[in-house]
Amino acid sequence: MNLGIRAFLYTARKWKKSLLLFCLLLSITTLVLSGLAIADAQEKQTEEMRGTTGASFTVERNLSTGGWTSGTYGSYSTQEFITDEMLQEISSIDGISGYDASIVSMPTLYQDQKVQSTSCPVHSFCDWNSEQQGKEKLITNGKVHDFYTYGSVNTEYNDLFVSGRFKLVEGSHITEDVANGLIINRERAEVNDLEIGDTLEGRIDPYGEDPVIEMEIIGFFDIVADKDDEANMLDDSTMWDYTDYAFCSINAMKEMAVNYEDGSKIREADFYVSDAVELNNVIEEVKNISSINWNNFIITANDEVYQNISSSLSDTETLITTLIVVITVVSMVLIILILSMSTRSRKRETGILLAVGIAKPAVILQYVLETLLIAVVAFPLAYLSSKQVAGVLGTLFGKASESVIVQPEHFVLVAVGGGILLITAVLISSISAMRLKPRQILSQME
Amino acid sequence: MSIMEVKNVGYTYDNRRKVLRGINVQMEQGKLYAILGPSGCGKTTLLSLIGGLDSPTSGQILFEDQDIAKTGLSDHRKNHVSFIFQAYNLIDYLNPKENVALTSKLPPLPILERLGLTKEEAKRNVLKLSGGQQQRVAIARALASEAPVILADEPTGNLDEDTARDITEILKESAHKMNKCVVVVTHSNELAKQADVICRLKRGELQVLDRISDTPKARNGRRGR
Repeated sequence: MNLGIRAFLYTARKWKKSLLLFCLLLSITTLVLSGLAIADAQEKQTEEMRGTTGASFTVERNLSTGGWTSGTYGSYSTQEFITDEMLQEISSIDGISGYDASIVSMPTLYQDQKVQSTSCPVHSFCDWNSEQQGKEKLITNGKVHDFYTYGSVNTEYNDLFVSGRFKLVEGSHITEDVANGLIINRERAEVNDLEIGDTLEGRIDPYGEDPVIEMEIIGFFDIVADKDDEANMLDDSTMWDYTDYAFCSINAMKEMAVNYEDGSKIREADFYVSDAVELNNVIEEVKNISSINWNNFIITANDEVYQNISSSLSDTETLITTLIVVITVVSMVLIILILSMSTRSRKRETGILLAVGIAKPAVILQYVLETLLIAVVAFPLAYLSSKQVAGVLGTLFGKASESVIVQPEHFVLVAVGGGILLITAVLISSISAMRLKPRQILSQME
Repeated sequence: MSIMEVKNVGYTYDNRRKVLRGINVQMEQGKLYAILGPSGCGKTTLLSLIGGLDSPTSGQILFEDQDIAKTGLSDHRKNHVSFIFQAYNLIDYLNPKENVALTSKLPPLPILERLGLTKEEAKRNVLKLSGGQQQRVAIARALASEAPVILADEPTGNLDEDTARDITEILKESAHKMNKCVVVVTHSNELAKQADVICRLKRGELQVLDRISDTPKARNGRRGR
């Protein structure tokens, strides 16, 4: 009779012992698989968090190393500005997911062929120059007729959108490919009966000789910010209401501001990284770009949000990892104990098998096979049960149950690792019996 | 010609207590050997050494003139000898047929039937058989292995008189009709009376007699003048 048959017969006929081991393996494997799925979900969450915490760095002119001069509009720094080539070069570094560079100005926006709303505040339009006759200023909040406007390369990466204060609710963001796009607040658009695709004209000084630039509305934003949350959501420095904010293509802004010396040049740019952990490495790489004179520019890392949440993420990860390790170690100790007790109770059998000429390796192999036969049934069932249990356990760690998914890779890992651990456990538990001579084993039984 | 030879064998427990001293005995096929002696004199130890369950402290155990320590104890147990124990030592999760098949490729049922077990009994849980039936299964396992040497340690020790007589008869037949070399350790005079050769173990030394009533022919198995 070969050892495979013996192993099968033992497993089937000593069904109570087999059932105990089966239940143990099933519950342990289910827990470990669930733990791995939770750990994976945690890792994914961390990765997503790392990509969505808005970790960025700002490149700005170093005014302390540049000179100063005065012009029509007062004194200004002669430090070099950020060029389009610099933006391209920096943004091509690996790990940068996007960037925005902007020029801020307060142009007046006009609408043509639109009937002014009845809610229009009483304001004098008679002093407009001849060029604007027959056109009406875009209605704002009744106090200000101009817009605090960002001439932006990519509004998706504008701090107001990245931080979540504004949300694009219709249309699309301004990108490098959009030459004369405009995004305004939805409330303002509704008051003025404006739709996506409508065109507006913009002019920085409606009474001067500034060029008039025609722009097409490509998107509307809503203000998500709680205006009462002054610490995070209200930009006191501008003294402008968020509803009076607008975004236009940087080229449109450059054309509008062409009369304002350095007013049409880029002073700073924000570059966002795809992984907050890599922020410092990316900055180092950027600093290595030799074509940029870094004496004239300053780089500042902006990863406060990530720094704030990373420690709590790390704590959760450590907790989950510790739990998996503890479950595995305790389980293994438990299994080794049970197998040791089982092997001890089978000392007589071991002695008999050795006495009838079955070699020690064959006896051990039989015990290993018996355990693996149970594991072969327990592991796949644990895979199925863990699919049900993992989600529930995940909620204990603050994970959405649908995000905790037991993957086939987890099963392979647990099956292979568990198999190796079980074999080790059987070998360890067999050591004491196998070190004895058959006669010693049998005499101990008498 | 002897099949087994115990050559100048000594055995010491824990390097202190000498149990066997210079034991010499030759054993032939077709004969029933009985090893007698008081409790604790080393009978089972000697049987274990012959069966390769343990190694002697000194001397050699030869099977067909080959030292079993050199050919391998496990191989010796598997191919040359088979055991019958006082406590039967059957595997409890195997039925009688499977216990017999443990060491043999021969069909187990004819052997079991020859030893008096029915077909139904041959499929029953071994722990539900009587002591005599369990010992028959143990003997069937020994016979089925086709080993030329059968070593039995107190095979009738746990059995009633009638069953013991049956078992003795089976062992005798195994020696005489199946040409086995049967070595029995026993306290039973009844069994010893059936033996062809009596070996009496006393104070670690072996005396070989032709019959139980005989006087010793030689010390340590050497025949006298």
